[in-house]
Formats: sequence, structure tokens, C-alpha cells
Amino acid sequence: MRALREIGEVQVGLSEKTCVYAEDKIQLHHYVPLARSARVPPLLICYAMVNRPYMLDLQPDRSLIRELLSLGVDVYLLDWGYPDGADRFIPLTEYVCGYLGRCVEFILEQNAIDALNLLGVCQGGTMSLCYAALEPRHIANLITMVAPVDFKTPENLLSKWAQHIDVERLTQSGNVSGEFLNLVYLALMPFRLTQQKYVNLLQMEGDRAQLENFLRMEKWIFDSPDQPARAFREFIEWFFQENRLIRGELTLDDRQVLLKNVQCPVLNIYAAKDHLVPPSASIPLGVHVGSEDYESLQVDVGHIGMYVSGKARKTVPAAIARWLQERKP
Amino acid sequence: MNDSTTAHPEAPPYLKAWDDYVSACQTLFERLSNPAAAAGGGAVPLAFLGSWKDLAARLGMRPDAAPGESSIPEDKFASLFPALGYSREYQEIGRRMLDLTGQFQRRYAEFLQHSADIGQSAFQATQRRASKDDTLLASPAAIYDAWIDCAEEAYAQAAHGEPFARLLADLCNILSEFKIERGKLLEALARQFDWPSRAEVDSLHRQVGILRSAAAKASAAVKSKRVAKATAAAKPTTGPKRRGKRKIRKTPERAGQ
Repeated sequence: MRALREIGEVQVGLSEKTCVYAEDKIQLHHYVPLARSARVPPLLICYAMVNRPYMLDLQPDRSLIRELLSLGVDVYLLDWGYPDGADRFIPLTEYVCGYLGRCVEFILEQNAIDALNLLGVCQGGTMSLCYAALEPRHIANLITMVAPVDFKTPENLLSKWAQHIDVERLTQSGNVSGEFLNLVYLALMPFRLTQQKYVNLLQMEGDRAQLENFLRMEKWIFDSPDQPARAFREFIEWFFQENRLIRGELTLDDRQVLLKNVQCPVLNIYAAKDHLVPPSASIPLGVHVGSEDYESLQVDVGHIGMYVSGKARKTVPAAIARWLQERKP
Repeated sequence: MNDSTTAHPEAPPYLKAWDDYVSACQTLFERLSNPAAAAGGGAVPLAFLGSWKDLAARLGMRPDAAPGESSIPEDKFASLFPALGYSREYQEIGRRMLDLTGQFQRRYAEFLQHSADIGQSAFQATQRRASKDDTLLASPAAIYDAWIDCAEEAYAQAAHGEPFARLLADLCNILSEFKIERGKLLEALARQFDWPSRAEVDSLHRQVGILRSAAAKASAAVKSKRVAKATAAAKPTTGPKRRGKRKIRKTPERAGQ
């Protein structure tokens, strides 16, 4: 316990980057290259709104972003920030077609190219799919990582719970707090997440490096931003409750979002032991997407393990870089 | 006042109970102020207690409730006066909040029951596992891990069920409703102190949103016009160059010319 107290504040997201575009709460970061360019179009990472994106760059030796940089990939990251009361009426359309769209256009303009590579993670994967379906000309290759597509599969506990929630009422009095979301995540596996992991902490026996890893993870887990009321309501109703994406009934920006319009090469990476986005929620993408160049990659880890576990670190960044290299224009 | 028949026969039952209670009080005070009568003892204290219990029951309270037995606050107030008068709307809000509190308590008690059932199943499963594997009992860490595994399995089984999902959703929906009612009170409070209220800020955000959307549309229109103009200008001309209309400048005749 004393060792824990001595550690104090832990640092996260240390890879060098510059904010190249900002609008309202969102920021677009461009990472400083760490190796000779692989000469593939820049990769824009679109993370989920429900968690902070520094999970992808948690610490130097557990960083998907750093691995990609060292493989010569030019990386941009879209950070949704911490929405507040000023954002409560912003619709989901604005997040997908507005903010994400403008970041894509900015990168295209900055690099004088017609299309970029897009990597959507978790909820950001679903949003990236929507964008790719609406603006296929801007996307050279699409990678989805632990991204839900079919929201109504038997293994999806979050979805089962979401079915009877009156989201209109939930969001009527403002944004949905990050604390509420944290409670929901903890409730998915309460015994492991509220007891066992702290008992396991005792086994670390004051190992500073291990304790720092633990604290970084702990910081990330409870650093959930509040969710902008309207966008959150629309996401829960349209995706979780009505499963519109897979049914071809989703409309954003007055346009129908059809997965068959995603014609670019697609790499779908999912985690075999994912308790948040079960494989059954990600796998159906292959059936619905319009692309003839579709590949999937199953990694034998959990949802969070996909970003930080040694197993994923060994396979995922290299697989992404290789896949992009093979589809170089 | 001590005549219990003063209440109208059609009056709410608690009014008659109130009269009976006041009457019993008066009798008790009379007895107490008269030592000779007080020394006589008798049925007065019992009558007093009886009328108090009756009144409490008519008001929705549960004077006979066993210790630890939950009380239902909304019942206490549901039988009271209807919300009327100057503060009627606030009374209604208060009543709804009490009602929601009661609903939440009931559903939360069910949730605790579910949790207890899950704990019970997990305990039994751990016992079964330990009886099949001797090594578990030899190590506290191993038995603890086995307990966690069994607890998660038992929990997952319940959590994936429809009743559990409905229960969680009910708890969430009740809290959402409570938050809405609380918001109404805070709005009123903010108005009283001339503080900016949430509704006011929301209204401003909506206006900003409308303005931004109008500005974006105008900017897009200007951009598309510029693009159209540039495209038209860049178009190669195939035919002979059309001569511009010659401008004839009329110069005013000078005087004398």
C-alpha cells in the first residue's frame, strides 16, 4: 500500500504528437513518426466516445500507436474530448458526418490525397463504418477493431440491459454521466472488477513497474467522459434497441447508411474473449459489407487486452501494417 | 372539539380519527390535571393510545410495523390532503419524488434479493467444485479464485435473464424520472435567486446551434458558388472569342462646340 501511495500521478499517452485541428471539444492529433515511412496513406484512428483514446498509447511498452509508428505508419488520432452541457443537443449525425468528416477532409487536404486509411475502435468502429458507407470515396482501406455491428446477439449483455432503458427519459435531464457508464461496465463482471483485481494487486508485492501499469489502467477505466445527451440517446435507440445499422434502416445526414456501400478493403479485428463487444457482434460485418476484399482477424484476448496485452501487441500492429502495405495504392 | 360527531359523516376517515384523538387528548389532560382522577387509573391511557394508533393508521403510517420493516413513504402522503393552493405544483413534485422513492426502494429490495440468490448459487457451486478438487481447499488463493469464477458464472446466468434486465432498467428509469423532478425544483430555485437556470442555458445553446447551422449553410453556399465560378472560368472556349459589348462613352458636349 505504501508503494502505491509513493507512485502518485501516473503518466499516459506519452508518444509525441501535435494537435493539428480542433473544433469545439474534439482534437485531431498527428503523431511524430518514429521510423521511415511505409508509404501508405495516413491512418486516422477514430476511438469510441465512451472512453478516452489514450488507451491506445497507455505507456511506451504498451502502445498500439507506438507500434504502428515504428512500422512506418503515419498516424492521426481523433480525440472526442470531454463533452459537457454545451454539447447535449448535438446529434449523432454531427459526430459522424460533421466532426469525423471534417477531420478526414483536413487530413486529405493536408496530405493532398483523395483517400486515407481509417481505423475505427469499439464504438468508433461503428461510427467509422457509418462514415465509410456515406463517404466511400474518402476511405482507401477500413479497419474495424472490437467494433459492434450486430447489436442484438445472445451474448451481448450490454444490449440485453439496454433494451428496456427509457433513453429519452435518461437523457431528458442532460448528458449521461461517465460515473453512470462506469457503474454499468463494472456491473458486467462485478466480482472480478470490484474484488478480484484488487486482491490480485496484493500479489504484486510492491513491484513499482507492475503497480504503475495497474494504476494507468485504473485511471483509464474510471476516466469515462460524460456522453452528450442527444447523440447518446440516438446511439442507444438506433443501434442497441433497433439494430438499424445491420437492418439497413439507419439514416444520417438525411442519407441512408448502407453497409453494402463500403466497397473498400476491410479488415475486421475482434477479441475472442470480449465481454463488452462479443465476437458475435463483430463477425457479421463480413456478411453485410459490400467489399469483396474482406478479412477478419481473431485475437485470443479480451476487449481491453486488445489494446494492451502482450499477445495483441505481438500480432495486431504488425497485422495492420502488413495488411495496409499489401493494399498500397 | 371533544365531540367526535363534529366531523361530517362523509368526511375523510382521518378527520374523524383526528377528532377522536383530540378528544382522547383532552380527557387525558383533564385526568392528569386532576390528581384524584389520575390516581384512579383506568381506561384513559389505553383509549389515548388507541386513538393515536387509529389516526396514524388513517394517515398511512404503520405504528405497528415491526422494527426494520420498510415503510412506504408515498402511502403516508397519498392519503393526505390533495395538492392545492399557492404551492400546488411544488407539492405535486414532492409527491412524485416520494412516489418514485418508494418505487425505487421496492425494486431495489428485489435487486438485493437477486444478489442474495446469486451469492447462494455461487456458494453452492464453489462447494461442489471444492468437493471434486482437493487442491482448492489447500490454498486460500485457489479457493478464492474458484469462488470468483463461480460467482461470475452465477451472476452471468442471472444477468442474461429477462427479469434481471427489466429490474436494472426499472431502477434506471425510476432514477431518471427522479432526476427530472429534482431538476424542476432546481429550476424554480434558480428563478427565485435570479441565477441562470439550466433551461435558460439550454435555450442559449439551441440558439447558438441554429446560428451555427445557418452560418455553415451560408458558408457552403458561398464555397459552392466560388467553385462553380472557378470551374466556369477554367472551361476552355471552343468557338471564336466573343467580343465584349463596346462601351460607348458619352462625353458631354462642351459648351460652344
